[in-house]
Amino acid sequence: MVTIIANAQRAIVKGTIRDAVNMEALTGASIVATGGNLSSVSDVNGHFTLYVKPGDIRLTISYLGYSDTTFLLNLREKEIITVEALLNSRFGQLSGIVVSGLMQGQAKALNQQKNADNIRNVISADQMGRFPDPNAAEALQRVPGINIERDQGEGRYVLVRGLAPQFTNISVNGEQIPSPEADVRFVALDAIPTDQLAAIEVSKTLTPDLDGDAIAGSVNLITRMAQSKKPRINASLAGGYNNLMKRGNVQGQLQYGQRFGINEKFGMLLNSSYYHNDLGSDNVERSPLDNEVELRDYELTRTRLGLSSTLDYRFSKQHEIFFRTLYSRFTDREWRRRYVFIPEDDEIEKLTKDRFESQSITTFNLGAKHNFKSWFLNYETQYSYGEQNTPYDNEIGFVAGIPSQLNYNNPKFPTIDAPGFNDNTNYEFDEAGFGKTIAKDRNLTAKFDLGIPYTINKNTGLIKAGAKYRQKDKSYSIQQEYFSAIANIPTLEQFDEAPVKSSFFDGRYNMGRPLSVTSFINFFNANPSLFQPELEDMAIDEALEAFDAKETVLAGYLMAKQEFRRWLLIGGFRYERTTVDYQSKDVVIDGGGDLQQIIPVSGKRNYEFFLPQLNVRYRINKMTNIRGAATFSYARPNFGEIIPAQEINQEDGIATAGNPDLKPVSAFNADLLGEHYFGNVGILSGGVFYKRLNDFIYRRVLFNSSYPLTGTPYIQEIDVIQAQNGNRADLTGIELAFQNNLRFLPGLFQYFSLYVNYTYTHSSASLQSRTADASKPEEKEKIKLPGQAAHVGNLSLAFERKGLNARISLNFNGEYLSEVGAVAEEDIYVKNRVQMDVSASYAFNARWRIFAEALNLTNQPLERYMGIKSQYIQREFYSWWGRFGVKFDF
Amino acid sequence: MKINTGVACCIATVLLLLSCDKKNEDLTTPLSLDQFPAVIVLADEGDGGLEDEDKFSFVITLSDRKDPDGQEPGGKIIPLLSPATVHFEITSFEGFNKLSDYILDASAFYELNDCNTEDVDLTFDVNTGKGTVIFPAGVEEVEIEFETDESLFDDAVFNTDERSITIQLTDLTGNTGKAAVNTSAAFVYEVQDDEGIYGEWKLDINDPAEFNRFKTLFGLVNEDIRNLEVDDVDEILLEFEYEEVKAIVVLKETEQIDDCGSIDTENKIIELEAEIEDVDDKELSGEIEFGEILETVTGSLRAFVYTGSFEIINSKLKIVLRGEFGSDKTEVITLNLEK
Repeated sequence: MVTIIANAQRAIVKGTIRDAVNMEALTGASIVATGGNLSSVSDVNGHFTLYVKPGDIRLTISYLGYSDTTFLLNLREKEIITVEALLNSRFGQLSGIVVSGLMQGQAKALNQQKNADNIRNVISADQMGRFPDPNAAEALQRVPGINIERDQGEGRYVLVRGLAPQFTNISVNGEQIPSPEADVRFVALDAIPTDQLAAIEVSKTLTPDLDGDAIAGSVNLITRMAQSKKPRINASLAGGYNNLMKRGNVQGQLQYGQRFGINEKFGMLLNSSYYHNDLGSDNVERSPLDNEVELRDYELTRTRLGLSSTLDYRFSKQHEIFFRTLYSRFTDREWRRRYVFIPEDDEIEKLTKDRFESQSITTFNLGAKHNFKSWFLNYETQYSYGEQNTPYDNEIGFVAGIPSQLNYNNPKFPTIDAPGFNDNTNYEFDEAGFGKTIAKDRNLTAKFDLGIPYTINKNTGLIKAGAKYRQKDKSYSIQQEYFSAIANIPTLEQFDEAPVKSSFFDGRYNMGRPLSVTSFINFFNANPSLFQPELEDMAIDEALEAFDAKETVLAGYLMAKQEFRRWLLIGGFRYERTTVDYQSKDVVIDGGGDLQQIIPVSGKRNYEFFLPQLNVRYRINKMTNIRGAATFSYARPNFGEIIPAQEINQEDGIATAGNPDLKPVSAFNADLLGEHYFGNVGILSGGVFYKRLNDFIYRRVLFNSSYPLTGTPYIQEIDVIQAQNGNRADLTGIELAFQNNLRFLPGLFQYFSLYVNYTYTHSSASLQSRTADASKPEEKEKIKLPGQAAHVGNLSLAFERKGLNARISLNFNGEYLSEVGAVAEEDIYVKNRVQMDVSASYAFNARWRIFAEALNLTNQPLERYMGIKSQYIQREFYSWWGRFGVKFDF
Repeated sequence: MKINTGVACCIATVLLLLSCDKKNEDLTTPLSLDQFPAVIVLADEGDGGLEDEDKFSFVITLSDRKDPDGQEPGGKIIPLLSPATVHFEITSFEGFNKLSDYILDASAFYELNDCNTEDVDLTFDVNTGKGTVIFPAGVEEVEIEFETDESLFDDAVFNTDERSITIQLTDLTGNTGKAAVNTSAAFVYEVQDDEGIYGEWKLDINDPAEFNRFKTLFGLVNEDIRNLEVDDVDEILLEFEYEEVKAIVVLKETEQIDDCGSIDTENKIIELEAEIEDVDDKELSGEIEFGEILETVTGSLRAFVYTGSFEIINSKLKIVLRGEFGSDKTEVITLNLEK
């Protein structure tokens, strides 16, 4: 017989779970009431709410690495009882100091995974602090199934389960954030310092209350919150060194958090961090199709500023409001000094670029949580703004009529025979480009979640519904000015400067004295009459790239969560409707290569998705779960693919056109995962996943098409290149992870712990064949999905005893297809890369700790090749860099 | 430990201030297009005239600027708001001893419209070669014309020595707006010898073979020439000028031409122009190459090129050419023409 407990008959147990010693909130704790199936899980702040039947109940709180704690409570009907649970760690007794930060961090992460409703990985702040990962992207590379794209050796974009960055949803505190970059939706996570975060959650399966545009998964960055009335100040200060540039770096962080007033109703947390890094790279690139080689000497200064705050007020046990802010600013000043050897034209170009770029993300979240007697209501509004501002992007080019011979017998380092190429008196002015761009992306979001807990036969259940409205305004404007000489500009030696490094590629190539952009611009400003603007080129660039877009999303969901004995079922559906409007410009270039016309155009599109989701967890025992999920999701196209901007180049017979009718990629996802947790804070897990992507987007050539594709054509035959929806793509994979200490080993070995994970993926996408032509335009071929690496993994060995923690970490990113070429032989791949980092810290006591980190110890390059492995097209080296500093906690 | 929240806020602010991002370190901002001055420049790098010409000219103009209305995306000339005095100088000359032997006088004007010009003030010293010209407000270009001694170089001998005049702009004064002058470029006027390839050459249209060879050669790119009937033709000329060659077919058919209000009756002509890419103009025989880009009926552009050789003997030109127009080609064809 089934008994459904009416809400009116319920009582509520609310509480906070903390470490008994350091008062840290314990996230992901399991709270089980009498009967076994009335349960809850503590949130990121250690809070939980449990609706129970009035009367005597036994409340058991379990947490990996901590002793179980039981409360005996007596609740009257409609009564609300608050529990403050202080759990005692078992690590302190084991490791000989008060509390091990690493173990506690690991415990938080694993407890959240263990008790999560879906398949999820969590990285806690403590874990982030133990790996030498300064930004969110690099922290995420330690998670099973995640690999990252790097820029200048630093992690930037996240690829989850072998899918490109646009398939992953990036959120801050549960709400999607805008991308500062111009034509994409995904976020460069090197803009967000890990110091600002309390945790990162990676949801690999979706529940209906999560945004549906997350085929690969959803990454949620959670900022910090004040925990207790005792003021907490955490700070760190570090200095470092970059071996390639022989320069230092500096990093600092300061966090203050405190709760105030009676019953600690008001909480405030302020956090700031700053990181200044001077770095660089030695780069050689080859263009096999043109027989050209480039030598590139990069010098960069990057800074990361993070400011965040959380203010919250608890009106009562039932009602609270919060206001969260996050501001992150990433700046990148780059000097790129390069030679381009062009044997076919008997020319060598020598150029220097000086560019500054800042990416900032600002979010304001204002929300409230209400726990009524029989239901709860959470609502939140968010204003978020992302901006990429490039106030200057100046590149000056000189050219010399010097023949060169290039030899690729050593494919890793081409031999360059070009006598006199270092002599700057040979170089005449070619062109100066002065650009500035700004990309803006603003989100306004409002949402609510409403839940009605219930029990059936003493089994916890929840019906939840919600809705969301989001308006996005995205724009990109560009000002690109080119100047050529009217006549007789001095040769390059008049503008050169001393090299910034003593050697390039350890002396293998001589870069000579580089061009100083500042020196040239001084000359330009003093002698403008010697130059003429290339207005047509400016107009083309500005018209082609600039756009305005508006996107409105309306979403709603209905779901149910039901525990039944050992089973937990979460099922429901989500509906999302998207309306998009775009404005951009067509550029028509005539047969002579001259600008013929710029035509304003606009596009509009609506699409909607109905997304059923089902997640199942079966608890074999207290430490072992089997999870399964069948979910539907989708991915919106990048803005660059759908804005109707078009370039019609009649000289080359090619038109490149945006496709506002492009459909989003839709996906069906199936997951099966087994996980076993160890009581001494560890996990062994293994799972398989499958994704079927429909309407996969690829670059299609429409041979000899009339143009435009719709309406009255004014060009009869031209090849039109356009992003189009293809057939389907399949992705399958296996994920394995093991993480535990090795206490079963004798002697000192017992203080070691192991962190290892490995993911294998396989993909196949069906596209228009690259050998298709006008006679066989429908010919198909199968390729791997771009960005999908077959093998991705981490291996990390740590030693922890009496305050000493040392770790050596290997991160393996397997080879993957980066760009699809015009023919298979022109496909570009990124080669395998294994990065080795070491880090160590020593805690003098619970408050003071010193730490040291060194990254990329084996000087692993970024390597790309075209077609065949020996045909390198890029090799970029960074050498190693490191930091040394102190952390304190008052 | 009691912590004042204000202290924490201050520290956070200090950290923010410390976050200098090297944005402006060692940075010079280039002049933007809006700051860029109106630049008066020489319109051409050079020109040429036959040795018996009694005048030559050069043009000064303004560099294109961004169209503030956005109507001309490739930019346009934006005239000066106030007049400027442009200084110019004949910086060198070759082939004669004294400037005043060849240059007799100078004047300047600009076009009011297709039919009328307006003189502008000009000073010029034929001894020093230095001069000034007013560039009026609201004007796009000014032409400076030199009167020359037509008899100085006019002889019956084929001259291979250089005979040229180089002119540069040297300064700008008097402009109250934001204007500058380009002083680095030079205009070179070359005196061309009419005993060589330059000048007009006439085809004997009464020779059917010659006429047909002309049709085959230039009919490759011009449908009107391809369909010519000899009875319709008055004369056919091949005219070699400074960096340019023209095939001119003068038809017997006439038309009324409105020449600035005066109605004249003139023969219709078919003209095919091409840019000379290469010519051995200091020899009586040598290589020649010329070509151009034409717009087709579909709006796309196609390039044609003619390559071959020439030989001048006793005022007769034998030119051997092969034409290519896209994938279409002619055989090697020889034309014989006379001065």
